[in-house]
Amino acid sequence: MLELKSVSKSFGSKAAVKDVSLAIPVGSMVGIIGRSGAGKSTLLRLINRLCDPTEGKILWRGQPISELKGAKLNQWRARCGMVFQQFNLSPRLDVLTNVLIGSLARQRGLGPLFKVFPIEERARAILELHSIDMEEVALQRCSTLSGGQQQRVAIARTLMQSPEIILADEPIASLDPANSQNVMETLAGINRDRGITVLVNLHALDIARRFCARIIGMNDGQIVFDGPPDALNAAVIDRIYGRQFVENITENPSQMEVKDTLEAVA
Amino acid sequence: MTTINPYLNLSRQDLIAKAIAIAPKLVSIPISRRLLNYGVWVLAALAFALLCKNVDMTPAVFAKGFKNLLRFFGGMFPPEAAGQEIRILSALAATFAMAVSGTFLAIFGAIPLGLLGAKTLVKQPLAHFLIRRFYDVFRAIPALVWALILIVAYGLGPFAGVVALAFADIPRLAKLYAEAIENCDPKPQDGILAAGGERVAILRFGLVPEVLPVMASQSLYVLESNFRHAAILGIVGAGGIGFELEERIRIFAFDQVAWIVIAYVICVMLLDTISEKIRSHLIHG
Amino acid sequence: MLQNMIKTDENKAKFVAEFEARRKIVVMKHRAAQISIVLILGLILGVSFYTSGFFITNYGTDPMSRIGDLLNKMIPDLEPQNLLKGRSQSGSIASWFYDMPTWLSLLSQTVQIALVATIFGSVLGFFASLLASKNLSPLPWLHWSSRRVLEIIRTLPDLIVALILVAAFGVGPLPGVIAIALGTTASLGKLFSEANETIDWRPVEAVKAVGGGWWTQIRFGVIPQVLPNYASYALMRLEINVGAAAALGVVGAGGIGIELSRAITYTEFDTYLALLILIVGLIFIIDIASEAVRHHLIGLKLAR
Ligand SMILES: Nc1ncnc2c1ncn2[C@@H]1O[C@H](COP(=O)(O)OP(=O)(O)OP(=O)(O)O)[C@@H](O)[C@H]1O
Ligand SMILES: [Mg+2]
Repeated sequence: MLELKSVSKSFGSKAAVKDVSLAIPVGSMVGIIGRSGAGKSTLLRLINRLCDPTEGKILWRGQPISELKGAKLNQWRARCGMVFQQFNLSPRLDVLTNVLIGSLARQRGLGPLFKVFPIEERARAILELHSIDMEEVALQRCSTLSGGQQQRVAIARTLMQSPEIILADEPIASLDPANSQNVMETLAGINRDRGITVLVNLHALDIARRFCARIIGMNDGQIVFDGPPDALNAAVIDRIYGRQFVENITENPSQMEVKDTLEAVA
Repeated sequence: MTTINPYLNLSRQDLIAKAIAIAPKLVSIPISRRLLNYGVWVLAALAFALLCKNVDMTPAVFAKGFKNLLRFFGGMFPPEAAGQEIRILSALAATFAMAVSGTFLAIFGAIPLGLLGAKTLVKQPLAHFLIRRFYDVFRAIPALVWALILIVAYGLGPFAGVVALAFADIPRLAKLYAEAIENCDPKPQDGILAAGGERVAILRFGLVPEVLPVMASQSLYVLESNFRHAAILGIVGAGGIGFELEERIRIFAFDQVAWIVIAYVICVMLLDTISEKIRSHLIHG
Repeated sequence: MLQNMIKTDENKAKFVAEFEARRKIVVMKHRAAQISIVLILGLILGVSFYTSGFFITNYGTDPMSRIGDLLNKMIPDLEPQNLLKGRSQSGSIASWFYDMPTWLSLLSQTVQIALVATIFGSVLGFFASLLASKNLSPLPWLHWSSRRVLEIIRTLPDLIVALILVAAFGVGPLPGVIAIALGTTASLGKLFSEANETIDWRPVEAVKAVGGGWWTQIRFGVIPQVLPNYASYALMRLEINVGAAAALGVVGAGGIGIELSRAITYTEFDTYLALLILIVGLIFIIDIASEAVRHHLIGLKLAR
């Protein structure tokens, strides 16, 4: 169980996450929605400890992880995979090395600094690449891949960590629909087959509905909705995105699909 | 869509066997390639070791000199001017003055050469190439080398030093100026041409306002490096702080050496800061 | 509003007069600034030329003829019919470059000094740059203080450092190597740290997020991004260092410079010219080679 107890985070005077409490059972797939600046990314970064909470406590399987430091912190980060919107691969390194980066927390000695990894790690990296149909490009530079391929490499890198939980921060926001579908299915498959807990930030409401059994809505740093997709009615969407958003949808073609969903709900 | 292979609990052997079944070449790197990799590293290391040996970089030589060096360092504290503050400071002033004078002469010499070296003004490609290569040849001669020979011509003293600095900087500045002129935006010049301007007018109102700040900032940059070059010319007899330093190093008066070096470093950092301020003001307005 | 104001002629005249007055002030201010800049520059130059002792040297009344004399002495007495004869025949090229084997070995020593110093300087400069770049430095005060230390080292001329090192290590190439490596460390440390500060932070964050330590973040997040820049800076520095190594011999720090000062002390001015030609040729070759490699690197970078 992942537990957040009154977690807050402020950057200077700006409060990005305000007094958030959550409990997420192991093995669930949770979508987090909310408009830009709602604090979704900050929430995931707090869990991965890429930033430190100003207040509150975070626990994983009963262990407090919000106070970890040094080697213990790195061990936690290894158990907690992160998938980024911009993939965050090293463009000039080949695909295989980028995947092997996921095993870094396990490595000892100077070998990795010279790109020398144990043979079983290489084997695992290849199996992970194979599971996403990417073993053919293993020796290509990452910069030569398409966005969807890069995101799948990034997911393979995360899987190399053998994570207990995966945090995905808008993993499909810079992908086209076909690739988005593919990446979301990969994430759902990981959740289903391996029992890894998945928390995924999403912009598009319909995607969240389709892939997540539980949806959390954030607005202005606070949780304003937490429930199954069926409970997402117009009033709730209004609370998450604000009245203005719903009115603007009609003018913004890129958000048409959200509008369709809204109408379907209404 | 793919299903994720449930191989999480595979043993090491099974893992490797499975991966080899998928992509044999990726798992275990062939011995020949591994040997090649290591071979390259070993060769590079050997070559480097040989280089080090050739330049006396051996532990024995190093250790011996290091002991002396530690002794010197011990002698540096506390820094001490031995009542020669005035003499040292005026030598410092003379050194910086030498740098300013040399740079000024160099600017004078470099302006026509810079114009000559710019592609926009000398359009013939071969001529342009030859002119620029000519500057490159002279750019290779350090100020110290000029100073050695000029001191023969003009005797010991700062005159030779100033001229040496100027000689060393003229080709450097000429190249920088030529590049500045080449890189300047041609649109204002076209505008003046379109308005029926003469060639002189084009230069005066189109080119000069564009390149002057760049050239000024490059001149300042050269001036900064001359603060350092001027200090070493004293070693070969051009006076200034280099001479004072050399004298004291020869008699192992390291407390005074330290005093001079500290004074010098403070002055150079101060002058650099001023020059950098002016430069960034020139470039960013 | 403006249009309303200049609708009537009276207003218009007033407007023009006001504008003219303001323009005059601006122009005068501009002039004053220009004049004062020229005055200050003139003052600095006057003081500089006076303080430097430029005018009090005993070079006689005709500086140009002295240069002429010197040039005369520097140009070797070559005889066309003997040009290609052996070393013992005066007037031949071989007799002008009479000690070629020694000079070639000194030239090669010069290159080796520059190479070793550049390699050490690059490696040390790399470690220094990690401390000196704002985004990577483990501690803020370390970033600040390592920057200052690099700046201080950069102000020290290599020849002065070499002079002290020759006193400690004795005459030989090692003092030259250390002096040049020190300067290279300082200048590359600065350039590398500037390159480090412009990197894309996302790959570094990814390594951090998988639980990689500081060194692995540097190795897999930073280095792949900056390596081409590092290489081209190091090559540029190598070009500079060959010139520096050629000059350092003058104070006994190894390389061809020692022959330069010997030629001067024995008033062999034609030999001096010969050495000069060799040095310039060497630097020229190094420049061209390093330029080719640099362009290759840049080409690779653009292709990516
Ligand atoms: N490093 C930071 N420094 C200062 N303010 C920050 C920082 N990171 C986030 N913020 C602020 O915190 C708030 C929440 O940001 P966050 O990135 O978590 O939002 P988000 O919901 O992920 O938005 P988006 O959909 O645009 O990614 C924003 O107002 C943002 O400006
Ligand atoms: Mg975000």
